[in-house]
Amino acid sequence: MGAGISSIEAMWEELVRLCNAQFNTPPFRRLLSAKFNKERAQQYSIQMAYYVQNRRDCWGYVQGSAPFEIKKLIWRHEEDELIGRKNEGKVDHMTLAIKEGEVFGLCADAFQHTARLEGGEVCFSAWIRLAQRSWLEAIAGSAILEMRNSGELIKGGSLSRRIAELFERDLGIPMKQQINNAEHVVMDVEHAHLLMQVARKYANTESARRAILRGAEESLMIDRVYRGHLADMLAALP
Amino acid sequence: MNLVGDLLTTLDQMVNEQFDSIEFKNFLAVPLTLERGRFYVVQNALYTSNRRDCWGYVQGGAPLEVKRVIWQHESDELINDPRAGMDHYALTVKQGEVIGLKPEDFEKAEIPPMVRSCFYAWHHIAMHNHWLTAYTASHMLERRNNGKIVKGGGMSFRVGKKFENELGINLKKMISLDVHVVADMDHSENISEMFERYVRTTEDRDLVLKGAQESLAIDRAYRGALGYYMEQIK
Repeated sequence: MGAGISSIEAMWEELVRLCNAQFNTPPFRRLLSAKFNKERAQQYSIQMAYYVQNRRDCWGYVQGSAPFEIKKLIWRHEEDELIGRKNEGKVDHMTLAIKEGEVFGLCADAFQHTARLEGGEVCFSAWIRLAQRSWLEAIAGSAILEMRNSGELIKGGSLSRRIAELFERDLGIPMKQQINNAEHVVMDVEHAHLLMQVARKYANTESARRAILRGAEESLMIDRVYRGHLADMLAALP
Repeated sequence: MNLVGDLLTTLDQMVNEQFDSIEFKNFLAVPLTLERGRFYVVQNALYTSNRRDCWGYVQGGAPLEVKRVIWQHESDELINDPRAGMDHYALTVKQGEVIGLKPEDFEKAEIPPMVRSCFYAWHHIAMHNHWLTAYTASHMLERRNNGKIVKGGGMSFRVGKKFENELGINLKKMISLDVHVVADMDHSENISEMFERYVRTTEDRDLVLKGAQESLAIDRAYRGALGYYMEQIK
């Protein structure tokens, strides 16, 4: 980790490199080589709704520890996620996930009554623990997941886009009907810039840049474990 | 037995009793001078910042529906309170102008040791407890500021009256205190509604009571500390 932190730009390049490298790891490769059928898509969709809920937990904790002006940025970020942009006719992301589930034949009840994946639960706890650490580590831990989902930063497409393409290929569901994936393909491009906004003001020392990289690396590690559990879940389904 | 009704009655009783505590009595009895008033207003801005920390943590631990209520609550506090046309931190800084404070007085302000300890204690409750406990701990400070519940007026009202009576500054000019006299009525009522939805068992009730008791204990320590520091300003 010694290299790549001499400046904010160098740190940013390293973060982008780490996000891209994520897609070449065994858990991501396994997940993205899955063949989806209806049941697998349903289970994946439900577990991703829990992931979205965990993101809301973590961003709350990050908002708690961040400086006042960064709290405001996070509050606005959470508007998209928790409330939606009513004036643009956009609903919150949990509602979006449930609505997208209808395309896979899921009803809203399924999201309430399906158990969380055990491995997922452990990862969620790990992410919460990270979100409760020093604020720069914490914000990096949450923001890096949106960088990893930004089509602008990831060569070959973000995770949401790649999954959407698998649904289209295997289930014949076009991207525009996958309203949650489609929204994240767009929204996380915008959200991915949050960390750079923070870095410009607060990452002026090497120790601050190290804290950001540390948080990002730990989060990406948890992300790999989580995606591995999802891949296992899919493989275990008929 | 009306579990939630009885609980709310108990919470109301607790916030009223808060004003009979030795710490609150001492704090409210310290005669105000301009310097003491300045100290209080700066410290109140730091208290407001600590509230923002804690509500963020509470939002993190709460169920999705409650997160939304807190997010809405934080709209007034962090972004813009339509009653004031600015966020509550900016409001406190603006209020400072009336008593000769500049924005840099707030930026450079130090948190005194006993106050710092209270802030950390509130962080601890908000971050490391069941969400009902954490939620109640933050809510109680607004309930204690709700003049519809507290006989004789909430804390902001009473402090505002001290500025009026002892320094001759009309409460309407103490814009942050004045806004909080009303804002915390709305906030504490909106937040209190969640008890109706989520307190179903005696265990839930006990989690609420734990948050209330612990937060009010810290609040007493905090007001005691402010009173002590204000008395040191001669």
